[in-house]
Parts: sequence; structure tokens; C-alpha cells
Amino acid sequence: MASVTAEPIDTTIEVPGKRTPLVTGAHDYGTVTDAVCRLAECKTPTAWYVALGISASLMGMLFGLIGYLIITGVGVWGNRSPVFWGWPIVNFVFWVGIGHAGTLISAILFLFRQDWRTGINRAAEAMTIFAVICAGVFPGIHIGRVWLAYWLFPIPNQMAMWPNFRSPLLWDVFAVSTYATVSLLFWYMGMIPDLATLRDRATGKIQQFAYGLFSLGWNGSSRHWHRYERAYLLLAALAAPLVLSVHTIVSFDFAVSQLPGWHTTIFPPYFVAGAVFSGFAMVLTLMIPARKICGIEDLLTDRHLENMTKVIIATGTMVGYAYAMEFFIAWYGGNRYETFAFINRAFGPYAWAYWIMVSCNVISPQLFWIKKIRTTPWMIFVVCVFVNIGMWFERFVITVTSLSRDFLPSSWGYFRPTIIDVLMLIGSFGLFMTLFLLFCKFLPMVAMAEVKSVMPRPGGQSDHH
Amino acid sequence: MDKKYWRSLNELHSTPGFEEILHREFPVAASEYPEGVSRRRWMQLMGASVALAGVSGCRWEDEKISPSVSRPEGRIPGVPQKYATFMELGGLAESLLVTCYDGRPIKVEGNPDSPQNQGSSTVFAQSETLSLYDPDRAVGVVERKEGTRYARDWQAFLDYADTVLGQARQDGGAKLRVLADVSSSATRRNLQEKFAALYPQARWYDYTANSRDNIYAGSKLAFGEVVRPHFDLSKANIVVCLDEDLLSEHSAGMLHTREWAARRDPAAGEMNRMYAVESRFTTTGLAADHRLPSRSVDIGFYLARLEAQVQARLAGKTPEPAGDEYADKVLAAMAEDLVANQGAALIAIGANQPAELQARVHKLNEQLGNVGKTIRYSKEPLATDLAAAEALRKLTDEIQAGSVETLVILGGNPAYNAPGDIDLVSALSKVPHSIHLGEYEDETSLLCKWHLPKTHPFEQWGDARSYDGTLCVAQPLIEPLHDGKSEVELLAILCGDKHPVALDLVKEAVKGSLDSMTVNASWRRLVHDGVLKGSALEAVSPKVKSLPAAKLTEAAGEELELVFYISPQVYDGRFANSGWLQETPDNLTKITWDNAAIIAPATAKKLGVEFGSVVKLILDGKSIELPVYVLPGQAPNSISVALGYGRTAAGLVGGDVARDVKPVGENIAALQSKAAMNFAAGLKLEKTGKEYELAITQDHHSIDAVGAGEIHGRVGQLVREANLSEYKSHPDFAKHVTHHPPLESLWEELSYEGQAWGMSIDLTKCIGCNACSVACQAENNVPVVGREQVLKSREMHWLRVDRYFTGDDVDNPGVSIQPMLCQQCELAPCEQVCPVAATVHTDEGLNDMVYNRCVGTRYCANNCPYKVRRFNYFNFNKVYEDPNRKLQALVLNPEVTVRHRGVMEKCTYCVQRIKAVQIDAKNDQRPIKDGEIVTACQQACSAKAIEFGDLKNEKSLVAQAHASPRSYAVLSELNIKPRTAYLARILNPHPSLAKPDSEGHGHGEAHAEADHPKTAEKH
Repeated sequence: MASVTAEPIDTTIEVPGKRTPLVTGAHDYGTVTDAVCRLAECKTPTAWYVALGISASLMGMLFGLIGYLIITGVGVWGNRSPVFWGWPIVNFVFWVGIGHAGTLISAILFLFRQDWRTGINRAAEAMTIFAVICAGVFPGIHIGRVWLAYWLFPIPNQMAMWPNFRSPLLWDVFAVSTYATVSLLFWYMGMIPDLATLRDRATGKIQQFAYGLFSLGWNGSSRHWHRYERAYLLLAALAAPLVLSVHTIVSFDFAVSQLPGWHTTIFPPYFVAGAVFSGFAMVLTLMIPARKICGIEDLLTDRHLENMTKVIIATGTMVGYAYAMEFFIAWYGGNRYETFAFINRAFGPYAWAYWIMVSCNVISPQLFWIKKIRTTPWMIFVVCVFVNIGMWFERFVITVTSLSRDFLPSSWGYFRPTIIDVLMLIGSFGLFMTLFLLFCKFLPMVAMAEVKSVMPRPGGQSDHH
Repeated sequence: MDKKYWRSLNELHSTPGFEEILHREFPVAASEYPEGVSRRRWMQLMGASVALAGVSGCRWEDEKISPSVSRPEGRIPGVPQKYATFMELGGLAESLLVTCYDGRPIKVEGNPDSPQNQGSSTVFAQSETLSLYDPDRAVGVVERKEGTRYARDWQAFLDYADTVLGQARQDGGAKLRVLADVSSSATRRNLQEKFAALYPQARWYDYTANSRDNIYAGSKLAFGEVVRPHFDLSKANIVVCLDEDLLSEHSAGMLHTREWAARRDPAAGEMNRMYAVESRFTTTGLAADHRLPSRSVDIGFYLARLEAQVQARLAGKTPEPAGDEYADKVLAAMAEDLVANQGAALIAIGANQPAELQARVHKLNEQLGNVGKTIRYSKEPLATDLAAAEALRKLTDEIQAGSVETLVILGGNPAYNAPGDIDLVSALSKVPHSIHLGEYEDETSLLCKWHLPKTHPFEQWGDARSYDGTLCVAQPLIEPLHDGKSEVELLAILCGDKHPVALDLVKEAVKGSLDSMTVNASWRRLVHDGVLKGSALEAVSPKVKSLPAAKLTEAAGEELELVFYISPQVYDGRFANSGWLQETPDNLTKITWDNAAIIAPATAKKLGVEFGSVVKLILDGKSIELPVYVLPGQAPNSISVALGYGRTAAGLVGGDVARDVKPVGENIAALQSKAAMNFAAGLKLEKTGKEYELAITQDHHSIDAVGAGEIHGRVGQLVREANLSEYKSHPDFAKHVTHHPPLESLWEELSYEGQAWGMSIDLTKCIGCNACSVACQAENNVPVVGREQVLKSREMHWLRVDRYFTGDDVDNPGVSIQPMLCQQCELAPCEQVCPVAATVHTDEGLNDMVYNRCVGTRYCANNCPYKVRRFNYFNFNKVYEDPNRKLQALVLNPEVTVRHRGVMEKCTYCVQRIKAVQIDAKNDQRPIKDGEIVTACQQACSAKAIEFGDLKNEKSLVAQAHASPRSYAVLSELNIKPRTAYLARILNPHPSLAKPDSEGHGHGEAHAEADHPKTAEKH
């Protein structure tokens, strides 16, 4: 299938007076539908089963370890005094950050009328949901008495107790759960027309039923389209501020405390930039192999990749600026504890982590100034993997190094992760990949309806919008 | 009695089946419950039970402690009662007051009536309740035959003793020996005399690993008689300690600390000045104004130089100008001070130093006119003819020669702590009849034919004398848990009294000290008070005989020496099974759960070893492997190692090889020898290339240069110190160490209508002895986490003692100590961040922790700048759930919640004690008096460094302390308004040694010159 061939064109060059197409190849509406639906309809390749098997095993390991954790106690991690928050919180912030790209692409880029988003928004949004799921696992199991986690929610109860609304952790609960809910709705709502397409094409009874159920009776009428587009716009408007708010509030967990190294006002913008940065890097890390394997390079062109690398340069530079500004303020502020927190970061026992972070996050994205790298998928992939590593380390550096040496030198310590910490991080990738593989197989990976809206009309006149 | 009946039981004894029944059914704390018994087995068991039910019917009348049938007047169930008792260490008593809940001893305090401790207590006393309920204690009489262990009962032992002693009596006990732990009990002395009369040929040996033989020998050398020196630190302006831990390890340490601390208030009269010359860093060295690290072998050298200088000054000669060396300066200052303060100074020398030096110190004290003023002598009731090691050697030789048939070992654990050149272990197995009375089936018990369970100090009647001679009496607080008998009871049995009544024996023995007209009333009073007022030893005034002229010995070369010392945590090993003590960090090294070879930085560098490297210490061909701890301030070329570790049969905590529990630390006694019990030169050290991670509670990892630099700059702000002269010119210097803009609050602050609790800690007085920390653990059910968790910095101490080194010289640093506990901040950062409101402020200003509400996000601990919050990473109280170790749960204070896993906890200012007093006061409709509420840490503190009370009452001691110019709050610039104030530490250095600048303790450079007077500038 999808053997629509045409003369290959370089989508990364803007030819004056001519729009570079967002969909390459001799695609028409039908072939786009075919290309996307093929994945759900053709015989599943063995490779998919192998990949799912590995991912699901890792996910199983994660859940097994969570069981062990709940039975034994949070001491199975490396957390200690003074590093009361360790890898679980690092992982949480890391995954929440990853979960930024999707909504940014679908909501903010939609509002800004960036048409190229249509090729990637579905997968990016899916990735957002899955990353938020991974993130959601950690704070829940992180607490000492998991069975009482519901006390964090303002549920009326016999104790007549409300949570403490002054605590940033509580804000976090609201921010993340709101974000997860809106992202999920946005993603699902956007998928309804495509689900209906799958329903219409489905041959199996189960597929017909399942797609039928989730496409909510979509029949493609003008009224449906009208309502759909209104709702999509509204949800996009609703989701846009959330993109900024969720990581701002996650940063409050740190910034509102008085710990040197956490207590800085630069955190909200810096966290948001970092989140977009890591989110885009993760989208690229996933989509570069996926577009190849799934044969949707025509829909997800080099131009899409290049656009995203540009976002990465921008946000990576912002993050680099934040790193520098933190140091400047630490010195300029004249607070001895804060000054030390930053000197210690760069030159103390955790200097290795700091310099991994700086080289991955500040130096590696600068390679994208070179067009060759920006347009060579495997090179983008390598840089993005580095960015992902760097962003994990950023959260490690913030969380662990700041805690390890706070005010009283008598309680300074050095954090060492346990094997459980490591396996849980790996397990969370298993959970993420499992969900992503299931998504690739059963759901439309590209927003067919939206892609079609940015394609030349059948009839050859490309005068849309 | 029906003799036939007994004979038939004896027949049964020999059948293996019955042995098993006995073991299963009657070993007091049955190790297994008979599960799934067959019908036949059931009949057997029931048969035996019925048979033995009859046995209990034909016992002699026993003194029983039983629950009251009707409530005694004034006793309210659930309201704690306090009883006086004591514990004896090295033959000297520490009088105690034990709080019991419904007949269950829960908390130990010092006896306020005791002139020695006046309510304060040692770490050992604090942990006695844990030992009482230790499930590893011996649970019954045990006989060992050909390597097999048989559970017996006392009757079986009595029968055995009958036979053995019957034989002994015939030859006057010629082959009978007793090896006893040292004791000052008059009851024991009475029985000892009786014993001697009964077995005239028998010999009695006393052995203790912590002997004071050198002191006895020294005073004999000096005075011709053995006397005991008593120091009066309240009158001493100058205190010189030569390898002597006068404040902590000395038997009168608490008295010394109290008197010393009373003279450490710069606002109340002249401050004293203390010098310490010592090899290892002791508590006294830490508290001293000047400390000179010196090998123990060189103490004589320094003493001779000091003598020479003092003599010269006394003779009116102008002293030679002091050399440039630090040691020269210290000695010159010391001599100047001693001569200037004649009659108001004292020199004390450690019990580890040889007799000649002891004698010369006596002489020097006499020359300086200190005797009769700061030093008083009395008779030495504990003096023995034989030095401890000598006694042990003699006994061993006798056994080897085959002249010992029966050996009774009363207490102690000589098989474990005998010096390496006395092979008691192999000798013991050669004794045909060996009997050991001990609280645990320890190393000695394993080698003896019989093990008899000894009562815990809280389970027995007894008497002993404290260091000053005050008579102390103990009453049983609980019926013996494990069918134990006390030392005096066993002794009475050996003297033929088959069913001794300890109460009568003790009463009889102390009757002589009581008013003869009202013996019964006085006795009751004595039991109630625990101490007899005015029973201190009478002073004697011996004169120093002429001594051979002091030879000015040269300091021995570069040879390494090995110093053995009694562990401040586990003593001579007897507390090895106490989790509280094992987990108490040593006050300088912060090591828990181990002993180590403590080496000076310079020596470590020279030898090429570092922290954690395992080295082989070789002395006279014997060797032992130990990890290295590099301690700044340790004397160069001196390596000190604590005794009391490496127990192989201590229990599940301290090590039990038979049950596959690794010993804690290494037993260094193997390197001791009769001739060198305290220290030995000629040590060789070999590197092994191995590494070992020591579980330390501070500096969990080595500090890099960045961290070290910051600590250097920061500590001066946390622990504020100044010399007396600086204090005098600027008393409120502590308030000018950090400066910050006005502190505004975002919220309306709470106002307090009733009380507002607060605490103050005087750093000038604190000597970092850890008593507060262990007292807190005992009071507040603070769990023990074990070595593995300490390695992960998960220790749970609510009150820890922070230790910082100061100064530039790593080989002779100063040490700053700071007890750190929840500061009960007014604007508590923990409260704000808790998402479930589990930590909240009370209307009395306490920062409360609601355990039930806590879900364990640990955010509060992250936001606590003092890091005093402790998290239950696991269920650290699981040990109480183990059915075989359930007994331990009795130690828990019923007034304090036992915390669940996943819950945060911290110091509460002993809120249960506050509430108890509040309830009392409310019932009596009276205001709470100042000083009525005493927190556990405050109560244990012998230096009286901690004050607690109502800050709103301006007259309260704590409010006065807060108002002191020395008071400051740690990290006050964070605007958290802690309720705990620290009083800055004032040192009183000799003017010639005082550094003009106190080690960069200053405000940073952001300080404006005009902000306050020039005198406070300390950049």
C-alpha cells in the first residue's frame, strides 16, 4: 500500500513565490486515508509484537516494583536525609515536562495557525497523554502512605479536613490533573472524525463496534463539522494557558520552598521552556523512527522535523540562559547559602551531573544551527536523545544537588540511587512505550481530517486558506 | 519434702524425651509453641504439666512482687509512679529514679536527691530500660554437658551446687574460686565474709576491664595508703586534665560536669579555664579551652616539663620564655595559671597513666596547695590487693595448674574481655565445675558448665555506693522477667542459704548506716529516696611522701602507640546488645555500630591510609584488622581503639555468631596485655588494601574542597563563639554575626494567650555527651534503624548533636558542638508546604506533628532548614511485632505514639510531659510553675545547658536565657522565628594563647562598618 510515488522534493527549502507542500508525494485524500488507516488494518508485523512484548514486560516490572514498594516502604529507594526527594520526583518532573509538546503543538500552534502542526499533532498529543500517565504514577507512589493518597484531593470527608491550600504540592495536584483531563479530552475530541473513518473502513466486528462506540455516531454532516470545529477551537483556547500553567506550578514545588537552589523566581519560565524543549525532543525521538517504520514520511516530512528543531534551538537557548542567570543571581543576590548552592552544583560532588546537563541541554541543541544536521533525520535523532538525557539530569541536578547540601553542613549527605530507582525509571519507559505502541497500532497516528485540510483541493488548485 | 518424688523426677531427667518437654514447655519464654501435636504428644505434655504443677506446689515461700488485689491508697491506674534505684558500673553506683507505668519501668532519670548526679543521667542509665526488656537476655538456668545445652531450673542447680559445694566445704574450698565484677555493695561484702568463713581456703578475684588500679597504686606510692581523690570543680579556676576525661568518663563525671558548667557562665562570676593534654579526643578535650594532643606515652614527658616550670615559678625564678611550639606555649600558660591560682586549681590524671605519674600529680597538687580546697581525699573502699589483670592471670595460672575445681563467675564477661596474653578461654574449659551468673548467655557462659540468669538492676534488691561514697539502695521495680537471681542471692546460696531473701540481706547490710533508733522508718525512707543523705565517704588528709625526683624524660620518638579505651557507647561490651547505644553516634567521630582505628590526619598521611581503609594493627605478634577513621585532633602517632566491640555472643543486636549475626566491630582486647592494659607503644600498622564503610551520622561522605571551604565560612554563623575578652567588650556579639533586612511576615502572626513554650541551649556549657540524645530516644520511642540504614543517613534521632571542627590546624582543631532538634519555628516552613496539613501550629506555639494525618510527602523535611525531621522509610518498629521478641514492646512509652511507616516525625518539646503537667495544674487550679515541665533532654543534661519553659513568663529561666545578650537563633535570617535560642559559646583562653581573631567567624562582606561599634568587627 501507500506506494504513491512522485518526484521527491526538498521540503526544507522555501522557493519564492511557491508554497512548499506540507504533504509530499502524489497524495490525494484517498491515499492519505489509506496510508494512515493501513496501520490499523493490515496484518500486524512481528516486530510490533516483539516491541510490545519488551515494553509490556518493562511495564510489568514497573507495576511489580510498585507492589514491592507498597508492601515494603519507600525506603527501597535511595531517598535519605537530607535528600528526601530523589528519583521518583525527578522522574515525575521529567515526564510532566515531556508531556508539554503535545498540547503546545495542538493548542498553541493551532491558535497561531501553524498548518504544519497537522502532521504531528495527533502523535504528539498521544505522547503527551502517555507522558502525563507516566508522570502521574510517581507522585502517587512517592508518598509514605500510598493508601491515603486521596487525602491530597479536596474530597469532603468525615474528618471535616480540607487539604492545606497553602501547599504548592496541592496546587500541583490540581494543575496536573486539570492538564491531564483537558489534554485527554482535546486529544479524543480531535480524533473523533478519524475514528469514524476507521469505523467506516473496519471489516472486523470488534473493530466496527469499538471504533463505532468511540466515534460517537459521527456521520460527517456539516452540522457535525461545524460543532466540531467550534469545540476544537474552544478547547484549544482552554488548553493553551494550561501549557504554561502546569509546569509553572510544578516549578512552584521547588520555587516556593526556601531551599537554596530551589528558591528562585526564574523557575516558572525556565521550567516551561525546559518542558517544551524536552517535549519536542521526545516527539522527534519517537517520530523519526515511527514515520519511517509506518511509512508516513509523506505526511511527516523533513520540513516538519526541521520546524521542530528550530523550536528546540529556541527553547534550548532559553534554558541555557536560565542556567546562566541562576548563577548570576546567586552571586548578585549576595545570599551565602544560594551562592554556595550554585557553586556546589557546578563544582561540588555532583559536578558530573551538572556538566552532563549543560553539555546535553545547552551545547547539543546548538548543533541545529547547522542546516545539514537540522535536515538529517538520524542526526536530529541523536541530538534529541542527548536532550532527553540532559533534561532528565536537569531535574536530577535541581532536586538532588540542592537538597544534598542545604543550610546546616552537619546534615549534608550524598544521594545514591538503589537498583529499584533505576528499574522504576526503566519501567516507566516501558509503560510509555507500551501505550505508544498500542496507539500506533489501533488509533490513527496522523490527524487525517486535519491533514486533508492543508492539502491542495482535489482538482489541483492549491488555494486553501 | 517428699524426697522420693524428687528422685523420680531425676530419673525422668535422663530420658531425652523429657528433656525436650522441659525445653519446650518450661524455658520461661517458650521459644516455640507446640504446633500440630499428636494425641500421644499431647498426653505427654499434659502429663508433664500436671506433674510439674505439683512441683510448684511444694516450693518454699518466696518473696513475690504481685499485682495488688485492692488499689493502694493514692495509686491511680495509668498514672506513672517513680521509684528510686541505681545501676552500678565499675563498682560505682549511679542513683536513678525510674518511671513505671502500671508496674512497667519505662523511663530512667537521674535521682534528683543524689548529690552526684542531681537528676541528670548517663547514656548507659538511659538505655537500661531497653536492656531490661531485651529478648536476648538469658531466660533460665542452663547446663552445658559435652557441648550440648540443656535447659534446667534453679532446683537442678541447687542440687548440683549441693554436691559440688559439699565437696568444696570438706577441704575448706581449697579448689574453689570466685571471679567477680567489681562492686561496692555492702551486702556482697557481708556475704563475701561469710563465704570466706565457710571456705577459708577459697580465693576471690575481682576483675573489670575498666580498672582504676593505677589510681590505687599511684596513691599508695604517694601517700603510702590507697585513697580516692575527689575533685571540686566549683572551686577550681584552673582545671588541668592529663589524659583524663574528667567530665564524661570519670565515675563522677556528672558531678564534675555540673560544677564545671556552673563556672562557665560569663555573666555570673569568673569563668574557669580548662586545659587538656590527651591522646584521643575526649569529651573533656572538646570542652577544654586549650587542648594539647599528646600520645599517652608522652604524658609523663609533658608532666615533667609542667612540674619543672611550676617548680621554677614557685621558687620565684622568672620562667624561661616559652618556645615557639604550641606545646611550649600551652605548658607555659598552664604553669602560669596553676601558680597564679594556687589552692584554686586542680590537676587530674587519667586512670590509664602509670602509678608513678599518678603519684607525681598528687605531689604537684599538694605543692600548689590544691589539696583540701579543690581536691579532697577519702578512703578507697574498692581497693584490692591484686590489680584486675593480675587477678585474672593468677586465676588462669591456677586453673592451668589444675588447682581449681569449682569456679563461680559473678557477672562480668571475662572470657570476652580478658587481655590477649591471658588465655582464660582455654583455661575455662578445664575447670570441672564452672558456674557463670550473667544477664546474657555470653561468651563466658558458653564456656562454663552452668549458666545462671542474673537479674537486671531493676529486678533486684541491692545496695552500692556512688563515687563520693553516698549509699544507694535499689528496689525491684518488676518481678524478675526471666527467673533470674541477683549476685547477692547467688552468693547467699553458695553460703548455704538455699532460699535467700535479698530484701533482708540488703537491709541487714545497710542497717549499720541507718539511725539505730528508727531502723524500719529510716529503711523505708532510704528505699524511697534511693540515697542516704550524708553518707559520703569521710575525708582523710594523707601527706605525700618524698618521691624520687622526676626525671625529665624525653618524648619517645616517632613510634606508634595503641590506646585502648572503654567505649562511651557500649562500655566494656556489656551494652553491646543495646540498639540505642550502638546507634548513638560517638560525640567526635560520629561512628555508630562499629569501632575503628582512630588516627590523626598527619599520621594517616604518613602511613598512607585514609578514612575507611582497613588496616592491620600488629602488637607483639598479635594482630587485628580495623577500618581507619581519621580524626582531626587525635594525637599524632597515637591510634586509639574502643574496647567493647566484636562481641560474638551478645545477642541479635550486638552480634551472635551461633545465630549467624555478625559481631558489631572488632574485639581489641586480644591486643591488650597484662602489662599494657591501657596503651602500648611499639604498634605496627599494615595496609590490607581492603575498604570498609563506617556508618557515621555526619559527613556521610568525604567533604570535597568546595564543601569544606563553605563549612569553614558557615559554621561561625551557626555556632557562635567568642573569647571571654571579646564577650566582655561586646556582650551581644552573637547578635551581630549575621545581618538581614527587617523580617516581615506575609501572614498575621499568631498571638498567644496562655503559655508560649520555648527552649534555650547554652553552648558554653554543652559538652556533647549524648545523654540528651539517648534520653530523647528513650522518652519518645525513637526507633533504632541499624547500621545499613545509618549508612543511608536514615537515622531517626530527634535530637542530634552536630559537631564541627574549627581552626586551620587539622592536627589540633577546635570543636564546636551544637545539639540540634526541632526549633519549633513560629513561622514554620514545614507547616506551609504540607499538602494535608499534618504539621500545624498549636495555640501554645508548638509546631505539632499529626502522625495520623501525615501521608509522607516529605516536603516538610525538604523545607526544614535544620533537617531535624525524620522519616519512617520502613516500619522501623517491626521488631516489636516479631512474636519471639515481643517482650521488647514493653519498653515503649505509652504516652507517646509509635509511628507507622511512611510517617514523618520530629521533636515535640516532649509535648506529653507538657500536657501531664498542664493537666495536674488544671486539676489543682493553679498556674504552672517555672521549671515544673522538664523535657527529657533537659532532665538528662548534667551541665544544665538546656532550659525549657514559658517564654511569656518573663521570670522563667528560659525567658531570661532568651533575653541574654548571648542568645541568638540559628538561621534567624530565614524569618522563621525559631522558638529555640542558643546561647553563644564563650571560651576562656589564656591571654598568651588567645587568637586575636576567632577563625573567620564573621558576618560576610556585605556588612556595613557603621552598623555597629568597631569592637564587634570580626572579618
